[in-house]
Amino acid sequence: MMTIVFSLFLLTMLVIVAVAILRTENLFTAVMLSGIFSLIMAANFFVLDAADVALTEAVIGAGISTVLFLGALALTAEYDRSPPVGTWVPLLTSSALGGVIIFATFQAPRLGDPSAIVHQHVAPWYLEKTPELIDVPNVVTAVLASFRGYDTLGEVFVVFTACIGVMALLGRVRPRRDSIKEGEFKKATDNLRHHLIPRVVGKMLVPFIVLFGLYVQFHGDFGPGGGFQAGALVAAGVILYSLVEGGVRGRELVPEWFSSVLVALGAFTYTSVGVASMLMGGRFLDYSVLAHDPVHGQHLGILVIEAGVGMTVAGVMITIFHAFSRRGIR
Amino acid sequence: MEWIYFVTCIAILITMVLAVVRGLAGPTIFDRVLAVNMFGTKTVLFIAVISFLTGRPDFLDLALAYALINFIGVFAVLLFFQSREVRRAAEAEREAGK
Repeated sequence: MMTIVFSLFLLTMLVIVAVAILRTENLFTAVMLSGIFSLIMAANFFVLDAADVALTEAVIGAGISTVLFLGALALTAEYDRSPPVGTWVPLLTSSALGGVIIFATFQAPRLGDPSAIVHQHVAPWYLEKTPELIDVPNVVTAVLASFRGYDTLGEVFVVFTACIGVMALLGRVRPRRDSIKEGEFKKATDNLRHHLIPRVVGKMLVPFIVLFGLYVQFHGDFGPGGGFQAGALVAAGVILYSLVEGGVRGRELVPEWFSSVLVALGAFTYTSVGVASMLMGGRFLDYSVLAHDPVHGQHLGILVIEAGVGMTVAGVMITIFHAFSRRGIR
Repeated sequence: MEWIYFVTCIAILITMVLAVVRGLAGPTIFDRVLAVNMFGTKTVLFIAVISFLTGRPDFLDLALAYALINFIGVFAVLLFFQSREVRRAAEAEREAGK
């Protein structure tokens, strides 16, 4: 009852904000509204008890994607100049599609219905077997890292591929320096160093963000969190430092070659855990053979692959941010 | 004691609505920046209260993450406007020099 009230409230706001994002022509407004959008979404995830997803949405949606959107906006025009298209055909198409989806929800089980198919399939088995086979309190981590380790490996490679795609678009381009002398520009606009309060507060918080990221990384077995969230948090710390001190100093702190290597190293670590478990007589990503005790092997495997996930995610975020901040000088 | 958490949640949700209204209405971009910032703060509070309402105060971790992350976006906004000002000034100067 309570969940439904809160969710309805939040989802109504979500729809209103989404429509407003589509309607606005000022792209800066759209970026700000999309920040609100992802905060609403994260609150809704939390109301629905998906704490791990809410944490990811908070860090990536509300934190890093706003920064990246603004980085992209600095390279383009401020106003949306959509080509004039007829509004009727898209409207009819999306209304029809929406109607079909709403019609389909009549057949769907109610929210939290224990007899729903999704709760009858493998979920009871996961809940029953996690204490015995893997013995971590957070079942989400057990499912994500061990039972569904293949899926997570796939996700890591999706992130890896996305990073290569973004770098193919943004990287390796000499910044244009025709209009402003570069040194002058950097001094004036690349950082917030002459704003005393942001500078002091920002630099003070960087170590705490990184520390919290490490906590989320290693506490993921017990509470909400894991490699994805931790990688994004550590990257957020580095991004905050680069915003305050300027992109040049940010690239000195975490050089571009290092963040690129991190991207590959994380995916490599994950895969090599799978290969190691094969060499030790198990199946691919079957961590039970990694130690004498199967449960201990599971713990070890989860720890290492979560570290791999964290490395890849942090590397991807930092690499993309560096690419934007390098392009921003023009 | 449960109901007081519930009432607080409702109150925070109403404040969120006010922030969304300000974000949608504008009129200046600074109103929208403030709306986003305020909405982030309300999300921190909402999650904190909900985690007590559902009896799992360990989920305060999440509220902590939100509080730490929230202002990075504001810093980016600050930097964006600062570099835009300088770029515009430089472009105007170049136009005048021609």
